Amino acid sequence: MNHPTTSQHAVFSLVVAAGLACAPPSHDRPEGVMVVVQEQQSAWLRNFNPFLPVGSSRWPSAAGVHEPLLIYSPMTGDYTPWLAESFRWDVPAEQLTFRLRPDVLWSDGTPLTAQDVAFTFSLIQAHKALDQGGVWKLLAAVDAPDTHTVTFRFKEPFSPGLLEVGHTPIVPEHVWSKVEDPVTFTNPDPVASGPFTEVVRFESQVFELGRNPHHRSGPTGVERLRFPAFSSNDQITLALAQGDIDWAGAFVPAVERSFIGRDPDNHHAWFPIVGDTVFLYPNTTVAPLDQPSVRKAISLAIDREKVVQVAMYDYTVPAHPTGLSDGYAEWRIDPVPEASSWVRHDPARAEQMLDDAGFPRGADGLRQNPDGTPLTIELTIPAGWSDWVRAARVIARDLRAIGIDVRVQGRDFTAWFDAVARGEFSLSLGWAASGPTPYRMYRTLMDPDGVEPIGQPAAGNWGRHASPRARALLDAFERTTDRAEHLRLAHALQAVFLEEAPALPLFPSASWGEANTRWVTGFPSEANPYARLSPNAFPEPLLVLTHLQWRDTEAAP
Amino acid sequence: MTGLLPTLLRRLGFYALATWAALTLNFVVPRLMPGDPAQAIFARFQGSLDPAALDAMRTAFGVSDTPIWSQYFQYLLHTAQGELGTSLVYFPAPVTEVIGTGLLWTVFLAGVSVVVAFLVGSALGAWAAWRRGGWLDRIGPPLLALIGAFPYFWLAMVAVWALGFQLGWFPVRHAYGVDVSPGWSLAFLVSMTQHAVLPAGTMVLASLGGWLLTMRNTMVGVLDTDAVRYAHIRGLPPHRILWHYAVRNAMLPSLTSFGMAIGFVLSGALLTEIVFGYPGQGYLLLQAVRGQDYPLLQGLFLTISLAVLAANFGVDVLTLALDPRTRR
Repeated sequence: MNHPTTSQHAVFSLVVAAGLACAPPSHDRPEGVMVVVQEQQSAWLRNFNPFLPVGSSRWPSAAGVHEPLLIYSPMTGDYTPWLAESFRWDVPAEQLTFRLRPDVLWSDGTPLTAQDVAFTFSLIQAHKALDQGGVWKLLAAVDAPDTHTVTFRFKEPFSPGLLEVGHTPIVPEHVWSKVEDPVTFTNPDPVASGPFTEVVRFESQVFELGRNPHHRSGPTGVERLRFPAFSSNDQITLALAQGDIDWAGAFVPAVERSFIGRDPDNHHAWFPIVGDTVFLYPNTTVAPLDQPSVRKAISLAIDREKVVQVAMYDYTVPAHPTGLSDGYAEWRIDPVPEASSWVRHDPARAEQMLDDAGFPRGADGLRQNPDGTPLTIELTIPAGWSDWVRAARVIARDLRAIGIDVRVQGRDFTAWFDAVARGEFSLSLGWAASGPTPYRMYRTLMDPDGVEPIGQPAAGNWGRHASPRARALLDAFERTTDRAEHLRLAHALQAVFLEEAPALPLFPSASWGEANTRWVTGFPSEANPYARLSPNAFPEPLLVLTHLQWRDTEAAP
Repeated sequence: MTGLLPTLLRRLGFYALATWAALTLNFVVPRLMPGDPAQAIFARFQGSLDPAALDAMRTAFGVSDTPIWSQYFQYLLHTAQGELGTSLVYFPAPVTEVIGTGLLWTVFLAGVSVVVAFLVGSALGAWAAWRRGGWLDRIGPPLLALIGAFPYFWLAMVAVWALGFQLGWFPVRHAYGVDVSPGWSLAFLVSMTQHAVLPAGTMVLASLGGWLLTMRNTMVGVLDTDAVRYAHIRGLPPHRILWHYAVRNAMLPSLTSFGMAIGFVLSGALLTEIVFGYPGQGYLLLQAVRGQDYPLLQGLFLTISLAVLAANFGVDVLTLALDPRTRR
């Protein structure tokens, strides 16, 4: 026996196996099957409970399976009636009545009634863990006077509550009333009202949803949504480039070259700048950041053009002085008078302000506190967030240039979030809440009611800035549903923000969305902005899913 | 020979102790991280989760304020009963179900890679030492050591880009094609094999050098012993000397490493999984750490520690069988 061949055999069989596998990847697509990628997971677990946190339940649960009463989109700046055909305030900001569409059926063929809506709300009242928006902190009662009318009474006047009520996913009473524990219910075979409700395939690597046979929208040719599991952005970018994904909401670097350029007729990306604004949060309980002039000086020292270029690859723009993104264009004071704006790059003015505030430069060129100690500030960021890490480096350099010694401190995400929520930081990057009006953002930044003691986690207002003037305006905002009055109050809130500088706006976030129109058309775009292209915000994808059409494949290139 | 059974029993006692120590560490280590699981969920919501819902979530998760000792005994009791609890990141899926999504793929991919790398690497190493100074001995070790020294991530990316993306020879993601479903069909098995080529191939390539060098260097020593020289003088056929005398003796260090490698198979191959979009334990472990998912972390660590202990025990037994000197 000739032993050397044993090892040769092993090598040879590897080569043979490799040879067998030399088949190119298939790009064929079965008729009517659309590929969607939103979540990043290595394997799927079957869960369509629309009330559970993202990551626990699959993306379509609240974006294709279950539907809400209304859908708000920042692209239209308005609510689209959905399960409800109309709504009105019986008593402004206190009592809200929805009129349901008469033609809605659950996927098992039974009609959707006002009883189902009332049941859904009592369900999340009984199980606090399911009430993630905290709608029952606002509501006093929900009634269904007839089969197509639902009435909501608020505890106190609270007009922004329309969003929480309108966006709550509605579930069928005849199914969920028999569920023993709705918190641990995985809703494996959903009975729902959305356009895609039938689970036709569920494997750990891919799952597919078929159409709801009773959905009110007509035939569109898109018969199935296919969800392959992707665990990394790189894999999604690659699959997009290969044309294997029809709809995604991923951050794609150099999108013109890596995606659009590979098939300019069919590959589309649209990144409107309507997301939350990213702020530099000063902890307003910590000296010297408790002084508005110091905060404004810091803001004036930051070269936002550079931040956006280095950290965000120019996918976004420097923030508006009011912190409001393009999604709030009609709410903004525009233009903001030069004198009251501190969201611009003016290092000379920043130095002047620090000199005036009593922070002189020392012998080493760095500034000192009035008591002679060096002015050193720590800037905390989540360590793995490469865009924020780059932004923090630019900011630290800019602040050093005006004599403030800033140390960038990266921490593990959970530890970072914990410290920021507890107010145990000096400077940090952070986001702020968004919504249909500027109300939520300014509440997050200035509301005294949101201020928790240092050491207690706060839901918002990480900087602990309490502004009684803002609270008065927020109160008035909550009490009225009048658009003109809302606009006036929003302008007043912006004036307070500009004066008090509770947080320093850096740049608004873009909303990532990519579409491939080789098989499916009808996606929103800059020319047809009926919704965001991004599938990442609930329940907006419902607007998109009901607009899509399967393309005549004979005509496809 | 009489020492075999007592030796085994002694080893078993040691393994029981090691299991307890591993279980305790599995409990303690995740809890040393700052924050708590509900806080991690809150962070994922970017703060838009209502605090009352957060409290209710905490209760549903079973994050309790009971003393850490009673939690520890509860944990030992449940683990002994095979009860691993509910995952928090994938709430409300049981930990066993979550681990089940990746376990078989990890066993398949990482297992095949380790076995192939061990067999091929050791055989090449034995042959390189047998024909010392031959072409394999001159080219093999430095070349494979060089490949092994590349960052694995880079090697895998090059494979994806060149063989998958540019040439289109192999699929670049997933464990099987979307047009087939898992089952005992030929189409599925072919698809599975195709999809395993790049991930398994890169893993084998990256680790081949280590096996080769270990085996070669031990072989060189063994071939110089009097026993092997005597066998040559006695005129035994060369293949018999190679396989029955030299390799059998030289294999012991490689075998120990092999046992360790097999044991650690269950920890998954995070980088491979991420680059090739392959399901497996590594990514689950990453998610569990990110989400402070204590039950899932405990479950994953448990499978890993049990596998390591079992593999070590297997190697112990095998060594006892191969080397009579260890039976004392």
